[in-house]
Amino acid sequence: MYWVSVFTEAGNFAILALGLDVVWGWGGDFDLMFYGYLALGSYMTFVLSIGKPTPPVEYIIGWHLPVLIAILLAIVVVVCLAAVIGAIALRNLRGIYFAVTTLGAVSALYLLVENYTPLFDGYNGVYGLINPGQSALNLTYNGYRIFFLVAVFVLLFLSYLLVQRLSRSPFGRMLRSVREDERAAAAYGRPIFFTKYRAYLFGAALAGLTGGLFAIFISAFNPSAWTPQELLVIYAAILVGGRGNPRGVILGVFVVYIGFIELTRYLPSPASRPDFGPALRQVLIGLAIILMLRFRPEGILRERPGLDTRPESAGRPPRGWVEALTGTARGAAAAPASQRAAGSSGLRSDEGATREGDASKAARRRAGQTGRAGDRE
Amino acid sequence: MNTFLVTVGVGLATAAILALSALAFTLEYAVSRIANFAHGEFLTIGAYAAYSTQGIFHENVAAAAVIAAAVGAVAGLLLNALVIEQFRGRSAITVLIATLGVALIVQNVLDMIYGAANVSYSYPQGSLHHVGPFLWTTSDIEVIVSALVVAGLIYLLLQQTRFGKAIRAVSQDRALAQVSGIPARRIIMGTWVLAGALAGFAGFALAATIGTFGPLLGFNFLLLTITATVAGGLGRPYATLGGALIVGLAIQIAGTYTSSAYELVFAFLLLVLLMLFRPNGVFVRRSSVTVRA
Repeated sequence: MYWVSVFTEAGNFAILALGLDVVWGWGGDFDLMFYGYLALGSYMTFVLSIGKPTPPVEYIIGWHLPVLIAILLAIVVVVCLAAVIGAIALRNLRGIYFAVTTLGAVSALYLLVENYTPLFDGYNGVYGLINPGQSALNLTYNGYRIFFLVAVFVLLFLSYLLVQRLSRSPFGRMLRSVREDERAAAAYGRPIFFTKYRAYLFGAALAGLTGGLFAIFISAFNPSAWTPQELLVIYAAILVGGRGNPRGVILGVFVVYIGFIELTRYLPSPASRPDFGPALRQVLIGLAIILMLRFRPEGILRERPGLDTRPESAGRPPRGWVEALTGTARGAAAAPASQRAAGSSGLRSDEGATREGDASKAARRRAGQTGRAGDRE
Repeated sequence: MNTFLVTVGVGLATAAILALSALAFTLEYAVSRIANFAHGEFLTIGAYAAYSTQGIFHENVAAAAVIAAAVGAVAGLLLNALVIEQFRGRSAITVLIATLGVALIVQNVLDMIYGAANVSYSYPQGSLHHVGPFLWTTSDIEVIVSALVVAGLIYLLLQQTRFGKAIRAVSQDRALAQVSGIPARRIIMGTWVLAGALAGFAGFALAATIGTFGPLLGFNFLLLTITATVAGGLGRPYATLGGALIVGLAIQIAGTYTSSAYELVFAFLLLVLLMLFRPNGVFVRRSSVTVRA
């Protein structure tokens, strides 16, 4: 059962990392608020599904909804908060300024939740969501845990399909072109703010979903269960696996989570200092971030360039449902625009050193691609 | 006694510590063009250095302050040599993430050495004094006076010495400074040592004022520092002092009339207002344009 719980948690984090990768990996916005969305999603799932609080416990809402509906509503609430934060932080602020603003947002949310008890019962937090639906499914406790693991992996797979689809879609390419060079993308008529904004809301929705799943997984949530620093584990995972590559991101989560966190579990920890092991883990996470950034910023699996290189798509690609959903079929031409920009200003672009290899490869590929991309317009 | 004036007095003491920290942060930004998210850890290290040696120096304030500054200076030197310089030519946000990694490492190494629980730093606060309309403890006065003295020394350093002139040159254009014969590498190194010393001293002052602290002391102070720095304008040392004054007073006053637990919430609100309307600092008349760094 121990490994069931480990893999459930890793699967949860993988969904979160996929969402964060859309915001940071494709969009290039280093968001420190992201763990706050997970936390809010989790809190909301609790207060929507565990019923009225009994004093002295206090929290808002206190409905008794089925847990699936509670998670959906929680995602809606999370996206609403992301809509506010994103509207403030994404419009004019980039780079350091964006990071600082989101750090402020998550610190404010954390202190508010911790100190304002009528919201989510302050430091004590909310609890009481124990294996929802276990009796309806007629499962034993362990059976339910395995069922939940399967459910998380199914959701992870669905999220992966969605993200992978988005990654290749015109929207994914448009987002990356905005990351590489906003001015070039704007010159090609791409809406800079709305592209980033939509990506941000999409990422937040996945964080909200993860929060809901976490609510079921750990069945209690309080401020000691989440600190803004936890997010660095996810960033480390994305960096190790391969920023911008959905498969790499999932790989990275499993490598970092199971590799780092589980292996250090067996290191001797003095009995008088139970926090020694976890602290050592965090040190390793910090080292991983620095070393990956310094020596292999592209991670294990490289980001695939935005161009669709499958031979069968040589003709006009079918207009898929993602394009229909996002209404961004026009974005197709943005990819060559970005690479032209990246090629000419390789050193200036965001990750200068990282993408130069890609840029030159893309330059070679571009020769055969530009005409085709033009056809799509 | 007027509550408001007492609050302003406490706010001034907060602002003095904030000014030291923000001055260091802005110097780091000025020469390296990066936001150092491990800046708070300089303060934490300074505080722990003073805490660890208090047994040796028997509450000698000056010795503790010097040790905190010296350890902070070493931390600044190491951070620049081992991390910042290794990332030269990379985007500012890449360096920011790396410094965040450093912050994580330092916090947890301190956790492993000293434990996650708060340690208490018993430093005599001294008696209360009425200074003009304000009510300050002896240590408040010491903090404020030392902040003023340090700010004055930094001003003289930047304006009157060759080193200061070189810092200003490097902060404007590193490459141009280098071709003019300024050893940019060494100047940047020196600036980081200076900034580390300032921050270490600020950490000591902060710990002495608060009384108890843990490994997150500096990280929790980082948001206030950044808000003060942005209020003054990133990379502008003199304006930063004004920014620290504004932020220190604003959060103290807002905190007193609601709850001190919400100080950081107000800091965030202030930060958002600044980002929306004055991203280049309150002392610069410029409409809000896209700011990137």
